[in-house]
Amino acid sequence: MNSFELVVPETAEEAVAALQALAPGEAAPIAGGTDLLIDVDEGRVAPRRVISLRRLPWKTLDWNAGALTVGSTLPLRSLEEDPQVRVSYPGLYQAVRAVGSVALRHRATLGGNLVRSAPASDLVPVLLSLDAEVDLVGPSGDRRVPVDRFVQASRRTDLRPGELVRSVYLPEARPSAFLWQRVRPSNDISQVAVAVAFSPAQRRWKVAVGGVTPRPTLLPEASDVLGSGRPTSSEVRRASEIAASRAAFVTDRRASEEYRRHLVATLLERAVGSAVNGGRFPA
Amino acid sequence: MTSPPLRFQVNGHPQHLANVPDSERLLDTLRWRLGLKGTKEGCRTGDCGACTVLVDDRTTLSCLTLTHEVDGAKLTTIETGPEDLVVTRVRAAFDRAGALQCGYCTPGFVMALAGLLKERGTAAAREELLDGLGGNLCRCTGYAAIVRAVDELRTEGP
Repeated sequence: MNSFELVVPETAEEAVAALQALAPGEAAPIAGGTDLLIDVDEGRVAPRRVISLRRLPWKTLDWNAGALTVGSTLPLRSLEEDPQVRVSYPGLYQAVRAVGSVALRHRATLGGNLVRSAPASDLVPVLLSLDAEVDLVGPSGDRRVPVDRFVQASRRTDLRPGELVRSVYLPEARPSAFLWQRVRPSNDISQVAVAVAFSPAQRRWKVAVGGVTPRPTLLPEASDVLGSGRPTSSEVRRASEIAASRAAFVTDRRASEEYRRHLVATLLERAVGSAVNGGRFPA
Repeated sequence: MTSPPLRFQVNGHPQHLANVPDSERLLDTLRWRLGLKGTKEGCRTGDCGACTVLVDDRTTLSCLTLTHEVDGAKLTTIETGPEDLVVTRVRAAFDRAGALQCGYCTPGFVMALAGLLKERGTAAAREELLDGLGGNLCRCTGYAAIVRAVDELRTEGP
């Protein structure tokens, strides 16, 4: 097994400097470690130095009116335990609950999930549907990137050398829902996942899917068909048809393309129903 | 590479550990350094729950946790004595329900359930507890008896 040196910086500046001091690939940040340590064991990465983010003040949840800033190293379990998250961001709550197991969520983080950028991530579709943005700190200062631009492909993001994810910004509480299909309900990877959210400010729906290649994506055409409020059942059906025909599904060991197209239509119909009936849907 | 000595509270006793490699997992520290072999290694990828222990009373996969990352924590394993009332109660419920066959997954199940009860209190809903055990696998498929142990705990009261 690869052995590495662990450094535990006290500030973001120290963490960035520690990361920058080595060539990319030689240094890796660790938050929960639930992906990184498997990658180390399986030889996908071999860092010489691992930089612990545990002393950085990023295990936070900050509300500002309806907007929410989630610190990148906050354990997912803390996010799901917050009663206001469940009410204001039901889709996010449902997606967090879908990740791994309780024990995994006590360590796994939102920042880690974003940087891992798994095609089957349950969190990325929801973040897309909520228009989430990623706040980064790095050697040339802070910057904010929409999740849609940050997440590129498996293990590939817009993160530049020396940069760290500090937090994720959710601009607006939205009626929303997240639904998935899997072989096993717990501790498994979704074959298809659907996130829907309605923006009260923009009066538009956002539909995103996971289980597509190469990464979870927004489906703008399906979103637009849902209209500017409570959709009719024919609008929902039309959106489902569009999602089933347009989403970039492929056949892999988890499911066939055909099965995924079938699933996405059903899950989308149910998710819109859940978002509309979940309370707080604007008149 | 090794960092400074670590301090833990392990099953109620203070423990100092020197020369622990930075990349060592909590699972290996518990089993091979402290001799606490009740905590099992199953998949080592976070899929089976056999290595579940409590870190500051929260269920944690010890195979995916660096020992140094939990420096200073209170660690609880299946070996804990009666000073941990919750683990003791869960162990007794598994015993009464006969909730084990080969026993390999049992420490993980007991710690996962104890952690949920510590988080949620004894008023936790049945679904919440069963859902919370979703990360633990039993290859003997002795799940029915494990569910009976959960029900025993719930009817027994605080």
